[in-house]
Amino acid sequence: MADIILLDDSMVAQEVVSYPDVFMDLTDSGIDFSEFSAGKVACSTVDGKNYGVPFDSGAAIAAYRTDILAEAGYTVDDFTDITWSEWIEKAKVVKQKTGKAMLNGQGAYNQLTVMLTSCGGSYFDEDGKIQMADNKKIKKISELYLEMLEAGVFQEEVGWDTYIGNMNNGNVAGAMNGCWIMSSIQAAEDQSGLWAITNVPKVDGVSGATNYSSQGGSTWTVTTACKNPELAIDFLNATFAGSTELYDNILPSSAIATWIPAGDSEVYKQPVEFFGGQEVYSMIVDFTAKVPSCRIGAYEASARTAWVTALTNVAYSGGDLDEELAAAEQTVAFEMEQ
Amino acid sequence: MKLTMKKRENLTGWAFLTPAVLLIIIMNFVPLFQALIMSFETGRTGKMTFTGLSNYTRILEDSRAADALKVTLEYVVITVPIIIGLALILAVLLNDPKLKLKGIYRTCIFVPAAVSMVASAVIFRSLFAADGFVNSVLINLGILDTGYNFLGHPTSARIILMVVRVWKMVGYQMIFFLAGLQSIDAGIYEAAKIDGATSLQQFFHITIPMLKPTMLFALVMSVNAAIQVYDESVNLTNGGPGNATMPIAHYIYNMAFGGVPNFGYACALSMIILVVVGILTMLQMRVGDKRE
Repeated sequence: MADIILLDDSMVAQEVVSYPDVFMDLTDSGIDFSEFSAGKVACSTVDGKNYGVPFDSGAAIAAYRTDILAEAGYTVDDFTDITWSEWIEKAKVVKQKTGKAMLNGQGAYNQLTVMLTSCGGSYFDEDGKIQMADNKKIKKISELYLEMLEAGVFQEEVGWDTYIGNMNNGNVAGAMNGCWIMSSIQAAEDQSGLWAITNVPKVDGVSGATNYSSQGGSTWTVTTACKNPELAIDFLNATFAGSTELYDNILPSSAIATWIPAGDSEVYKQPVEFFGGQEVYSMIVDFTAKVPSCRIGAYEASARTAWVTALTNVAYSGGDLDEELAAAEQTVAFEMEQ
Repeated sequence: MKLTMKKRENLTGWAFLTPAVLLIIIMNFVPLFQALIMSFETGRTGKMTFTGLSNYTRILEDSRAADALKVTLEYVVITVPIIIGLALILAVLLNDPKLKLKGIYRTCIFVPAAVSMVASAVIFRSLFAADGFVNSVLINLGILDTGYNFLGHPTSARIILMVVRVWKMVGYQMIFFLAGLQSIDAGIYEAAKIDGATSLQQFFHITIPMLKPTMLFALVMSVNAAIQVYDESVNLTNGGPGNATMPIAHYIYNMAFGGVPNFGYACALSMIILVVVGILTMLQMRVGDKRE
């Protein structure tokens, strides 16, 4: 097995619980976790122990095509610091005037995670028990999402290829995902200068709602199979937990640091032509610091899948939302009792 | 010691068989047996303990497994007769000795079977995309106003998965039927003609009975393949929308590798499939195979 493994943020808890004794406890390794954004550290903390060194940011961005927004009489400021209800109203205008959906996604998966994380929500209660039916945040986000689908302002795609394709071909007016999506957006070089970035809308009427979120992003873990753990930890400490130079070098690939000192580097303050000269990197460093920390459970992926299934059943097969959420909760509970 | 001729021949035969037999034992039967043992265990990976029939009793409470079985059975019941029927018709048509360019037709019909499932999935996904070929045609003909997301809706997604299956398998089964047809002695047809049988009578009274062994083989293969269908849903829809196109094999995969692994439960589900396939095959052999 490898000495060091890179894991998606939402997978760390699942892997640590599923494969006990495979991942090394890094709590007392000498890595200074306080130098990373708190929400990010929470992703790799299981039962109070640190199992990972945070790497690239998954801070959510809302990126819009300014030319398409202009056709509907909007600028990117109209979509900054707003709520989802306001967003849906404006998105309907864009749809009506341009015929284009605001966003698309490979199913609902990433979109729901962006929304749930933005209000610090979780599928699980304090004791780690699944809680989806009696969960105000999940209920509210479900209603908002279904409204977006109904109005045609969010377009569900079957595959990742069509998701990126429609985004690059200008069939939708924007993209909302972890900031790593920027490298896919920038693949359409002819659209340089037409995009702008802002924060995500916040969920209406729930506690802890913010305009900041996270989706994706990744974390380094060290395995117990590693024959020289001191060396592995020293390596991580000198690079991903200690080198602004390293983060400067990898920035063009849209790997944005969650190691706070990296954000102070000059490279992060460069304006980016593609996004109309916005200083997108320092914006995202700022977003990263404001992401609420969430309780991520080992059954995160199962819960997310069950939620998507519930919403699909409501949207396409005429199911009742409350009943479907209860069924989703039951499904996850069934898996958890193995 | 001196071997008799017969013994030596037997030994030579076994020497040729042994490598294949060993490979089948190591690659198929050993994992099968291990899966059987694992189906009686639960717990975290590497720390599983024996818990008897608990995985099997859980299956009875699993509504998603029941849904997946329903999707699978629907798939078998609808696609298998269509595949066998079409393959038979095409084989008879292409077996006509007077037909020209036979080779080209046969190749065209067989090619889908040789295309990898991932490539087929890409083709069909773009064909049925909201702005894909099928929608463009329907819009231009005035049947639709805007593109319909075929793979995003449960019923149409299920139908498309079946279409892909039929498209891929018809050519494959046709080859077996062609081989079967060519092994029928032309003299039988000549004799029938002399006795005044029409071509329809020849088809039902000569072709079909003579093809029975081939049909049995095609049926058993198609049913078994359809019960274990996995590639189509993984590559085209990922089981969605919701779980509308999730067959049982895909569900088993998800139970083992999709989230927190539950290998014991996945193995128990696999054993159920094994039993179902076994029973169906036995039934078909009973009904179809009248050889002494």
